[in-house]
Amino acid sequence: MSMLELTGVTKTFSDFVAVDNFDLTVEKGELRCLLGPNGAGKSTSIDLITGRLKLTSGTVKLDGQVISGLSEHSIARLGVGRKFQVPAVFKELSVEDNLLVAATKVKSPFSNMFTFSPRIGSRQARFEQVVDLIGLKDRMRVQAGILSHGETQWLEIGMVLMDDPRVMLMDEPTAGMTEQETHKTSELFNNLKGDHTLIVVEHDMSFVREIADIITVMHMGTNLVEGTIAEIETDPRVTEVYLGTEGIGDA
Amino acid sequence: MSTAADKVAATGNGTTSLYHNKAAQWLLYLAVFAVLALMPLLVENAFTLNQLARYTCFAILAMSVSLVWGYGGILSLGQGIAFGLAAYGMGMTMQMQYQHPEYDPIPSFMLTNELESLPLMWAPFWSTTTGLILTLSVPTVFFAVFGAMMFQARVAGVFVAIMTLAMLAAWYSMAYDMQPFTAGFNGISPPLPFSIGGFELDPYGAPAYLVCVGFLAVLTCLAKLLMQSRFGVIVQAIRDDAERARFLGYNVASYQIALFAISGFIAACAGLCWVMIVQYVSPTSLELTLSIAMVIWAAVGGRLSLLGAIMGAFLVNGMQSYLGDELQQLWMLFLGAIFIGVVLLLPRGLAGLMELILDRLAGLRGRSQDQASGQKEAAE
Repeated sequence: MSMLELTGVTKTFSDFVAVDNFDLTVEKGELRCLLGPNGAGKSTSIDLITGRLKLTSGTVKLDGQVISGLSEHSIARLGVGRKFQVPAVFKELSVEDNLLVAATKVKSPFSNMFTFSPRIGSRQARFEQVVDLIGLKDRMRVQAGILSHGETQWLEIGMVLMDDPRVMLMDEPTAGMTEQETHKTSELFNNLKGDHTLIVVEHDMSFVREIADIITVMHMGTNLVEGTIAEIETDPRVTEVYLGTEGIGDA
Repeated sequence: MSTAADKVAATGNGTTSLYHNKAAQWLLYLAVFAVLALMPLLVENAFTLNQLARYTCFAILAMSVSLVWGYGGILSLGQGIAFGLAAYGMGMTMQMQYQHPEYDPIPSFMLTNELESLPLMWAPFWSTTTGLILTLSVPTVFFAVFGAMMFQARVAGVFVAIMTLAMLAAWYSMAYDMQPFTAGFNGISPPLPFSIGGFELDPYGAPAYLVCVGFLAVLTCLAKLLMQSRFGVIVQAIRDDAERARFLGYNVASYQIALFAISGFIAACAGLCWVMIVQYVSPTSLELTLSIAMVIWAAVGGRLSLLGAIMGAFLVNGMQSYLGDELQQLWMLFLGAIFIGVVLLLPRGLAGLMELILDRLAGLRGRSQDQASGQKEAAE
């Protein structure tokens, strides 16, 4: 069964159709890249999957279960994690507390009033594993607000990993990263796929080449083309969408 | 890439400076409460002791503001609602302690307002226990319900301030207008001090003062524990970025409602103590100026520190008592100037200043400089 299935997803803002009858099927363990020019509806689709926006029509299924219409926190608890386009972390908290908040599985305010240990029990091993993975081990006591842009991106990726969701939605994860950091991110994503299902919105084509199996190109809120990187790059419809540039390769 | 932040990490194990040392914090908190508790031995003058008890009530209020605003990012200008409701509850309890079920069952102000029997609203206050329970539970429940209305609709930021302010104004008018039930503008002045278990708490005596200090100490310690719990960390996370917390699976509204209700309970305790100390309640406890003053006390002392807010309340009110007599109306101008100065120069209040000094003493650069270098680094 597919991990994430969008059927006829539509979102209109008064007269404007942002996402138009969008179908998308992502298999378990797949890494799917979402491409498209500005205003194609990529971020809106992510908002629709995570419940930030309500669908005008259509359904979203997670592992066979309909999740469209649920609240954001319910969808998150069912296992959909997201990284924002503009990195969002808890700026006044330490890096460690940021990760701790993400790693806490108990979400009820009342049980958390009586939890004092900075440890998270059985999840401690995963906690340390993620800390190693994002390379912020010696920055744990630092306030998140003073991290560099790249580090902030990594912290937010770490927070999403910490929550261990079934589907991870990454909105422009490499924006503002150096070439080296971008490369490190692609290594991480290649490690994650297989065990996790990922959807990555990206503009950086060299990054997309490094990670993508199948790419979905969106245009005018709908699914334009789906295929491997080679198929996408030679597809005349894609070239037309990116008209004005010399094809998608330089986008 | 080597910045001051690296130095913070280099000191290791989280012992960044004395300010952030939890054991040192607790020691300081306990020392302050011990000093407050010993005041009756030092202060002979009953008037001064009563004055100190009043400041203690204000300190409880400032602490509730620090909790909800500093930690929770909810700028409530309606803390006076819980304070005022509890003040009326306590006033009614004390008034009914004076009334006699057979010979004198109705408070005299009701008779002058042509009421012939005790209103239903007043009846439960025949029992002191029920009266006290209502005094604390009604404001708390009200804050939970009012909070649910606001936070489930995702009201945030300045709109919370406006809504709480409007609600406060509504309660003020109600207390003012319901003359037969509340004695309106004149207020209720119970003829006798509050007594419990056959023991009378003289507003000018040491026991009443110690009850106030006890409330302050216990509530502050509980609030501090709460902020050190996972709940406290999550509440601060929500303050920084509610959306991020929501997509990590947290029901943001439920945390905000819980915090708001807890702060309401704390403010209600202050209202209870206040009427015990002044033996009088009127719509002034629901006045706008009082609720705004609480925010100023917390801001001056440092809203991100419970103890800072407490100190702010003592400091500003102490100054008001002495300078207010000298400066008369000019005092308000002076207070305004202090507030503006603090907001501009010390956004974290006096506690923030303390943090800066201790961080520097520990050989670290101040947080503001860290931020500046962090931003510069990001820009590069």
